[in-house]
Order: sequence, then structure tokens, then C-alpha cells
Amino acid sequence: MQIKYTLPLLAVAGFLFATYTAINSNNPTPIAEAITEPASAPFKAFIAGAGIIEAQSRNIAIGTPLPGIVKAIAVKVGDQVKADAPLFYLDDLDTLATLAIKRADLTKAKADVTIAKATFNDAKSLSDLAEAVTDRRAISAEELLKRRNAMLITKARLESALALVQQAEANLADTETTLSRLIVRAPVEGEVLQVNIRPGEFAPTGFLNTPLLLLGDLNQLHVRVDIDENDAWRFDKNSKAIAFLRGNRSFKVDLSLAYVEPYVVPKKSLTGDSNERVDTRVLQALYRFDRKQLPIYVGQQMDVFIEARDYSTNKDSENSQNDAKGPSS
Amino acid sequence: MNHIALKMLMGDTGKYIGIVMGLTFASLIMTQQPAIFLGIMSRTYSFIADVGLPDIWVMDSKVQFVDDIKPLQDTELYRVRGISGVEWAMPMYKGLLKARLTDGTFQTCNVVGLDDATLIGGPPMMLEGKLDDLRRSDSVIVDIDGARDKLGKPSPIPGGKAIPLKIGDNLELNDRRAIVVGIAKVTRTFQSQPVIYTTYSRAKSYAPKERKLLSFVLVKAKKGQDLAELTRSIREKTGLAAYTQTEFITLTYEYFMHNTGIPINFGISVLLGFIVGAAIAGQTFYNFTLENLRQFGVLKAMGTSNWTLLRMILLQAVLVGSIGYGLGVGLTALFGFAMRHTILAFKFPWQLLLFSGAGVSLICIFAAIISILKVIRLEPAIVFKG
Repeated sequence: MQIKYTLPLLAVAGFLFATYTAINSNNPTPIAEAITEPASAPFKAFIAGAGIIEAQSRNIAIGTPLPGIVKAIAVKVGDQVKADAPLFYLDDLDTLATLAIKRADLTKAKADVTIAKATFNDAKSLSDLAEAVTDRRAISAEELLKRRNAMLITKARLESALALVQQAEANLADTETTLSRLIVRAPVEGEVLQVNIRPGEFAPTGFLNTPLLLLGDLNQLHVRVDIDENDAWRFDKNSKAIAFLRGNRSFKVDLSLAYVEPYVVPKKSLTGDSNERVDTRVLQALYRFDRKQLPIYVGQQMDVFIEARDYSTNKDSENSQNDAKGPSS
Repeated sequence: MNHIALKMLMGDTGKYIGIVMGLTFASLIMTQQPAIFLGIMSRTYSFIADVGLPDIWVMDSKVQFVDDIKPLQDTELYRVRGISGVEWAMPMYKGLLKARLTDGTFQTCNVVGLDDATLIGGPPMMLEGKLDDLRRSDSVIVDIDGARDKLGKPSPIPGGKAIPLKIGDNLELNDRRAIVVGIAKVTRTFQSQPVIYTTYSRAKSYAPKERKLLSFVLVKAKKGQDLAELTRSIREKTGLAAYTQTEFITLTYEYFMHNTGIPINFGISVLLGFIVGAAIAGQTFYNFTLENLRQFGVLKAMGTSNWTLLRMILLQAVLVGSIGYGLGVGLTALFGFAMRHTILAFKFPWQLLLFSGAGVSLICIFAAIISILKVIRLEPAIVFKG
């Protein structure tokens, strides 16, 4: 081997290897594809918002009028209930005992009336007897007065006894009302969405973070769309809207506006997180859609696109509007 | 004549190798140092380059580079989605969180939160597990370098290699449980922290409580949409900064160029390589010409024209130059190949071949010019002196 050839050969080999490295080492990194294709707006200009599905009646968090231990639950999750159907029963042993007492009180009051009636009859007949004597000498004036007064006193006693009966009846009715309030009933017809209470648990009154029972009318669903306050001016009630199911964009549905809540609220509902940390306010528009078109559940989130006027491209028209306003602008 | 020139050059093997070695060394330093420099610089934006799917990145207008996170409100996502020309827009969380390992040590990790439904922005290559597995509860995907090294379990033998993190192992991120469901391959980043991928909502629960947590909005433009126009309209409508992927890479790159000592350090290395290479090669080549002055004198006396002599010297210079260059770049490539599995940053684009080629050419031209001047000024009578 001669150095004459070795070095140039090594150099050529080195250069070729370097070229190979330069070509080979700079392959672009592969692109990670999306798991599912994200929804994209079918409109040219649009407002995007997140929507959450709710029942048309809104989701009713059932409360209880009286606090107490739950005795039994009449419904399961998913049950269809009619208006006024019982949902759950609170413990009523105490109230039943009171009811028995009140009933006894009524019976006692009624018995007292009988006694008062008998006493009155007795006094009345004695008084009548004395009144019937025609010869005033046969009976002293004092005796007559005594009998008459006795009759009047027993009459008053009878009236008092009758009033006591009424009072006892009212007491009984009160207890019966309390008893009926221990049964919590459905305020509207709908489906039971959630049951968060079980027999033996204590049902408190007042506002609860976790409702005892969630009820909603699912015949018609609404999607509540949050529109950022910065975009609210672009929102038009008459424009078209489309909602896409998250996770598979081939499920989409046309929306029609039900109503817009005129009060702009702080954004909170959408991530479902109780300690939402977002401080913007949103306009909420409610849309209805045909439930049969989507396999969807109440509380699910959707991506909603609402068509809006394209303000970006018609700058010229804006200018002409400004011109039309006159020289002052 | 060329034959004589080569004979002259290779006549003294020691000197010949000396010249070639000098040039090889210069070429090696002028290729290898910039390659490391480019490697380090490319790591500053490797995260952006890895997320290939979106066209546009939207962020706070004051963001200076990719790790400079200034979070946005969640509703900004919907404002960006509402801009015409946007095919889709997805949220991304990126932040540094502390992971607690099984042995109780803490490790700062780069946590990336991807959109829950589409998982857009995921790692470019999954080695184990699937990206879908992120839908499982408490699941995270860890990058292979992090899993092997920084997040690995300590070796049972003291001082031994860490046991790599496997699928099914768990970590603690900010006191919350995280289960490894996949191992991914990502391009190393500048700070070389382990990268942990999870979903956006889970990343928010791992992150410390802050009012705003949305780091980036990733935007895909509609087909046929002009990207420059779309970024302009996003900027106008939302007041946020919007960059195309290349613009964001440039932004990050420029930040590191202007605000760190990396370019100047490597610039000095390259310059030193050039100077040392030029000095060694130039001097040896000049010495070689001096020693062969008698031969040149003889040739001149025999009536060889200056032009022919010049061509002879040029041939010699080109030959040693090409050999030195070839060996230098070859050694650099070999170095890169040997170091491919280590933490060393190394990037060898074709432009670098041209750069070092130009450098070696300059050295050769410099050495050749001195020698040529000497030979042209040479009196043929010198042969008969001394």
C-alpha cells in the first residue's frame, strides 16, 4: 500500500460518508396524526363556541321541603316519571306518632262535646221545668235564676267544646300536611337523570352542590352555547348553526335557536370543573335539535359553529358606510 | 509537469502527511464545531418542529420563544376558532412541573397537554403503547430519553444504571397520580428535560392553580388559505401573536442567537480552527515550497514559464486541500455517527459541507498565494549559488 493512493482514497471515502450523513441525518421528523379529525366549521365566517347538552326543562335539581332521613326511594335512574309521582319518602315515624296523638285529641274533644251536650241538656231541662211553672209562688226567684244561669253556662261550655273539636281537627290536618310533605314528588313529567341519595342517608334542605335527585324532560334537548363576550356583537339570532359531537365529527346536527338568555354570565359550565378559573363573561344561546339524529347524553359537550357575517373581507363596504355618514367621519 | 509536481509533493512522506494533517485538522474543526452548534440551536426549536400537524401557533403577543409561556384564557381558543380560514384550532398546555419519583427524588419535567378529543400535537413516534391510551384515566406518555435516564428508577446496585420507566409504572405530578401508558421518541430539547404527554384537562389538574393555563392554540388553516393572511387576521381580531411554524422556529432561534452566549462561543471555536488550520497548513506548505525552491529554480532555468510553475503549485494546493477536506468531513461524520446515541447535539446539514469546503479553500488559496509569489520572484540563478 502506498501513501500516494491511501490518503486520496481515504479522503474520497470520508467525503462520501459525510455526504451520506448530511443527506440521511436530516430527514424531517414524522408528523403525529390526530386520533380523530377535529370538527371544522362549514361556514366562511362564523363564531365558535362550546355547547353543553341540557334538558328542555333545564336540569331540575330536586330539593326536599323538610330535612330528614330518607326512608325509601321510589324511582331508579332513567325512570320516566309523571308529574306529582312520588320520588322518595322521608322518615315519617315521628309524624305518624304525632298524628295518632292528634287523632286521640280529636276523639277526646268530640267526647267532651257529648259530655257538654248532656250537661247542657240536663241544665236546659231543669231550667225549662222551672220556666214552665206558672205559679210564681211555687218556686223561688233565686232557684229560677240559678237554673237559668246553669243552662247558659252549660251552653257556653258546649260551644267551647265544639271549638276545641275544630281546633283538634285543624291540628290533625296540619300533621297530615306534614306527613304529605315527607313524600317528595316530581314537579314535572320527565326522566330521572341522577339519584344521589340512598335510603338511610340524610337529606338536607337548601341549595346543594350535588343535587339529591336530578330530573329533566328529555323529549326535547337543548344545547347551551357559550359565546365569548368579545364575539357577542357578531352573533345574529337568525343565522344558521351546526353542532359536532366531540370524538367523531361525522356526527353533526343542524340547530335552531330556542332563545337567548339576555343576561351575560360569567363563564363556568363548560369544563365541568367546580373550581373553574376563567374570568370572562359569556352570552348564552340555547338551540334545539332533533334528538334522534345523535347518540347523545345530557351534560355532554359539543363543538358549535354559528354562522356570522364576514366583517374582515368587506372593509371596502365599511369604508363606504363611513363615507355615507358624511364628511364628519 | 503535473507528474513532477506530484513527485515533489509526495517525495517527502513526512512533510506531505504534515500538510494534509494540518488541513484535515482545520477542516475537522470547521465542520464539527458548527455541527455541534447547529445541533444545539436546532434543539431550541425541536419541540415546534416535532408538532408537525398545525400550520399556525397562536400565543400571547409577548412570548419571546417556545419555553417562554405566557398563558391565555380558555375562551381565546373559541375566539381563534371563530376566525374565517381556520379549519380547526386546538388547545395545548406546555409547562414545567415537578415529578416525584418512586425513590422520593424530584425531577422537573416538560408537561405537554393535548386536546382531549383529538390528541393533536402528540409525540412524533410512539415506541411502546398507543397515543389513544391517553384517554385512560391518569395516563401519561413519557419520552424514551427521560424514561431511561432522569425518570428511571435508581439501580439496586449503588452507582449502577437506572432502571428505565416502563408501561404501567406510576409517577406523582404535583401530588397527583400519573400512570405511564406509553413511551415515545421525541427530538431532544435544549434543556433536555423529560417530556411527559397527557391530555389538556389532565395537564390542567396537574398544573399549579393559576387563573390562565392555555399555553398555545394550534391552528390548521383551511385548504388553499394563505397562511400570512390568516396569521394577520388572527393577530388583528384577537390581539394575540400568531406565527406559522417556520416563523415560530425563527423567533425561538433568533432569541437564542441574540440572548445567549452560544453563537459567540462556537463562533470563536470555528474561527480558532480556521486560524490554526490556516497557520499550520500555510506554514507547512510555504516551508515545502521554500525547500523545493531549488527544483523550481532549475525548472525556471530550463525555461519553464511562470504560468506552468503557478499551475504546478495550484495543483499541489488543490490536491492537499481536497484530501485534507475529505478526511476532515469524513472524521466529523464518523464522530457524529459514534455519538448518535449520546446526549451530544449534532446536526450535519449539506450547507455545512459547503461551509467547511469554502474554509479549506480559503486556507489553500492563502498558502498557495504566498508560495506562488515566492516562486514568481525567484531568480533562476539561485540554483547555482551556495
